Formats: sequence, structure tokens, C-alpha cells
Amino acid sequence: MKKTHIPKLDDFLGGGIPGGSSILFCAVPGVECEAFGYQILNGNIEDGDKGFIFTNVTEPQNIIYEFNKYGWNLEKYLEEEKVFFVDGSSNFMGVPPMGKYTIDELSQIEGIVLKAIDDIPNGVGVINNLSTLLDYLDDDKIIEIISKWNKRAKEKNTILVYIFTKWDYDPKIIENIKNSVDSVISLTSIEERVIIGQGFMVTSASWTTPSKNLVLFFVLQPGGVKIYIPKILVTGPYNAGKTSFVKSISKKSVSVERMAMEKFPTTIAMDIGHVDHKGFVADVFGTPGQERFDLMLDVLAKEAVGAFILVDSTEPQTFARAKEMINKTQSEAIPKIIVANKQDLPGALSPEQIREIMKLDKSIPIIPTIVNENTGVEEALDTLLNLLYGD
Amino acid sequence: MIPCIESGIPGFDDLTKSESAMGGIPENSSTLVYGPAKTGKTIFSNQFAYQGLLNDEPCLYIMTDQGIKQFEDMMFDFQRPINKFIEDKTLYTINTTSNISEGKPQKNENIVSSYINNPTDIMVKVSYGVKYVNKNNPRFRSVLDSSTTLLAYNENMLILRVLKAYLMRINEAGGTSIITYTEDSADKKVETILKTMVNNIVRLDGKELTVEAMKGIGKRSSPYQITDEGLVI
Repeated sequence: MKKTHIPKLDDFLGGGIPGGSSILFCAVPGVECEAFGYQILNGNIEDGDKGFIFTNVTEPQNIIYEFNKYGWNLEKYLEEEKVFFVDGSSNFMGVPPMGKYTIDELSQIEGIVLKAIDDIPNGVGVINNLSTLLDYLDDDKIIEIISKWNKRAKEKNTILVYIFTKWDYDPKIIENIKNSVDSVISLTSIEERVIIGQGFMVTSASWTTPSKNLVLFFVLQPGGVKIYIPKILVTGPYNAGKTSFVKSISKKSVSVERMAMEKFPTTIAMDIGHVDHKGFVADVFGTPGQERFDLMLDVLAKEAVGAFILVDSTEPQTFARAKEMINKTQSEAIPKIIVANKQDLPGALSPEQIREIMKLDKSIPIIPTIVNENTGVEEALDTLLNLLYGD
Repeated sequence: MIPCIESGIPGFDDLTKSESAMGGIPENSSTLVYGPAKTGKTIFSNQFAYQGLLNDEPCLYIMTDQGIKQFEDMMFDFQRPINKFIEDKTLYTINTTSNISEGKPQKNENIVSSYINNPTDIMVKVSYGVKYVNKNNPRFRSVLDSSTTLLAYNENMLILRVLKAYLMRINEAGGTSIITYTEDSADKKVETILKTMVNNIVRLDGKELTVEAMKGIGKRSSPYQITDEGLVI
């Protein structure tokens, strides 16, 4: 097994990638995917293996520069002959080629990449980019070439990493490409008007039953692919049940609270929890409800991707405060749901009554709950995650 | 009434006024500006971008045949200094011309480079750019000048797919976009497909500006000239 050196990905793949396997990073346009290929290559070279980069997207010199930006010294590996380029770009750009192999015309690609695979037994080859190749060759030809490369890689125990951007192709050819490799990692965007995040998920792996969690990531320069833990906010008026809610949706939670005068615990700083639900992970931040802590709201709410607004369904006089807190945490702009707590108490208003009093738009879900009894909590969590990530 | 944004081209907004359209460029639409070489397509786009910046509408500008320095100079020559908008981060540019590996490191986070035959990377930067510019104002403009260079360096079908993804991205995010294209620089089929991908079509032939298609108005044209202050109808 070889490590991918991408956080979380090795766990999902049952430890890593077996030698001789092919892996396809299949990205929605606009989602970063090249870094995945480069990071796998860089990590494995560091582990002592050999590798190559086939490029038809830019000249080798520019790739060296990109590696530098990630903080990886490709130049050194090139000098030490641990890595070489298959330069399928320079001749087409009219600049002097660089690299062990150069492609002068399309018909050479198949054979030259086979030679490159032969040169690095037990190594890693990165093909950047398959989609740029696809429009030059016909559909059957591309499948035939991939099969030949993969067959040779299997014989040499070499891993092939394909970078692919899912432009507007016929779904059939995309399906065929996916079926030609051992493993597919889908890279998607999570959008709410603008892209709020990028995520990766293992769609298939021939050697294991992969964990199909969606993990949010971002790409750092320097640093490479990093996991991003989104932040979800829990806010609402005093005594609405925020702390209990954070506790009930979290596996672990910490509360900064104290016993108030009446021996009644209240949150004086924040609640912090960590949700791990149906493959989604998120940090949960609960805010205090009293007005004297409003100064903190802004800081706590910063960069939250979604919010739970808790209200005590029996206390309509606090609803104005709830709306004010939506405003103060700038939650208007992010997906949010109203958690209508204490539904078991006499005089509790129904979700529709609450909607009317709070004058809430139909698009904001209101979930009736009894947080203390864990009733409706999971539904609340599902509803918000669904708003955030879609089905 | 079809809501429109100011084009920035003197005379254009009057030319495109009708009973159902306010005049200007329909908001949240896409426009193809095409015509033979040297007829003012870039100048048209620059004025469009600049007008937006003046109106606090941020701009995402993808330049494939001039560098940021040339772009700044050209804007300055037409009395449209843009350094202020680079400073206040309402202008985000992606350029594919400079050889960045030999250049100096990037000074501004909103001036980024990409590679002409790496549409994957260009599109990643478009995504960042959209997020960057519409953070403060969902009403933004986007210019791609020009699609001709992209087509020249890549397989045509690939670039048509890329342009489709690009237009969709800008549209979803609420922006108004312009793509320029030099007539007859690629296969006639490419031009036909390009025309089907956009909402509005404007042709410049050196003498006449023709609005070949635009929501709410019929075909219209008017003579134009390029003065010290840019393109004027």
C-alpha cells in the first residue's frame, strides 16, 4: 500500500493505494484538483519512490514553480533523477521543451507514456490532464489508451494518478472513463449562491469498500490539500436550550458556564461541540443569549457556514430577541433553521404560529423539538446539513 | 421592464432603450462582443468593466492577450485609471499571458496568473474570483477578453465546454458577463455555437455597432468611432 499523503483519504481508501492501481480525480469545473495529483507524487518521492508528471496543461518550468508555491522542491527531485517530465506542452506552445520525454505530436502520447511507466517500477505517474486530452482524441481511443497505460502500470506495480475536469461531456464517456480505473475520487463544490467550500469523496475503489464521507478541503500555498472543518453556529435568546442542544448533537462538547445566583447554570462564554453525523463533520459553536455578551457574537459567528436559531416555543416575547440575534450574528446570509424547543410544555406555539409571529420566510425551516428528550434533534441536524450540502 | 446596467459606452444605453428595456446591458445576462480584428472589442469591454467599478459593481476580468501592465496602461490612456480599484480590491484579474515562473512573486491577491492551455486552472481561479468579487456586492461584472486566444491554443470543443462552464458560473452568482471573439479566427461552427451560448450579441465592424440580439429589443445599429475617451456611439 502506498500513502496518498492527502489527509483523511488514506483512511477512506482502507489505508492507501495498492501498487499498480489507477486513481482518477474527477472534478467539477472550478474545483481544485491538480494539487491532489502533485501532493501524492511529492509524498511518495519523499518516501523514496520514483515518479513522472505528464503535462499537457503548461510547460514543466511552470509546474516546478507551482510546486515551489506549495513548498515542495521538485527541482531537487529532478536533479536527483527521482522525477522526470513527459512534456506534452512546450512544443505546442512554441517554447523549448524540457524533460526526459517530449511529445511532438498527439499520436506519440500513448507510446511515450508507456515508456515513462516502464522507467519507474513501483513509482507514481501523474497524468495532468485527461480532459485536455479527451477533446483531441475520439472517445473510444481515449478508453483504449487508458486501458493500455493501466495494464502496463499494473505489470510494473506503478500507480497512475489521472487529473480530470468534468466539463460538459456526454455522461456516457465520463462513465466509461470512471469504469476504466480502479478508484474514483469525486471533487465537488458546495454552493449557496457562491461556492462556500470544496469537498472530496471516494466514489469507488476496487480494493476496498470505501467510506463515502464528504470531506471539505482547501488548498494552501504553501501546504497543499488541507481538511476544512466547517463551523456551525447555535444561537438564540437566553434560556432557549442552546447548551443542551449543542450537547445533544455533539459527540463531545465543552461548555464554559457557571452557576448563576439562582444555582442555575448559564453559558458565560460559549459551548463548543463537534458533530460527526452521516459522514459530515463540523465544529459547533453555541453563543450565550444575554445581551451583555453581544460583543462576542460577531467573533463567534465569523466564518460560520450555517446556523441553528433556538427559540423557547412558550416564550413569544423572546422572538424579537431571536431575530435580533440572527442579525447580530449575520446569519441572514447563511443557511439556517429555527429549532422550536420546549414543545412539550403547556402553551408551546406551533411552528406555523412561530413563523407568523417572527415573520419568517417560508424558505427557513422550523423544526419542533424537545431538546431534553432528544426529540426532533436529529431531524434538525439533518435539515440543516441538507440545506448546506444538498442531498 | 427588463432591468439593465449602464454599459459605459456613450450612446449605447440610448440605442438599446425600448418600451420593455431600460437601455444598457440586461442585468445578469451574457453578451458576445465580436467582429473583425482592431474594431474596438477590448475597448468596449474595458469601458463596460470601468463603468461597473465606478458604480461600485466589482469586476472579474480574465485577460488572455494582454498582461496586467498593458491593461493598466490602456485603461490609463483612455482616462480610466484602475489602480484605485486594484487597491480597494473591487477588481480581480486573471491573466494567462505572463510567464509567471520568471516573474516576480504576486504582490496583490486580486491579480492572479494562470496558463493559457490549462482551462482547469483558469476555471479554479474564476471560482475564487467570483467568490472574491461578489463577497461585498452580488451585482458584479465579468469580462473575458478574449476567447480567440483560448481557442487558438486549445482544441475548440474543449474551449466551448470551458466557456459554457464559465458563463454558467457567472450567471449563477448573479453577475453580468461579456466575452469577446475575433470574427473568423476559428471555424465558422465555433462562432455559431458561441452565439447560441449567450443572451446578447453585439457586432463591431469598425464603422457600425450592431446589436444583433438582446432581450426586449429588435436588431439595432448605429455608427461609432473610437476617440481619446474610448468608443462612442
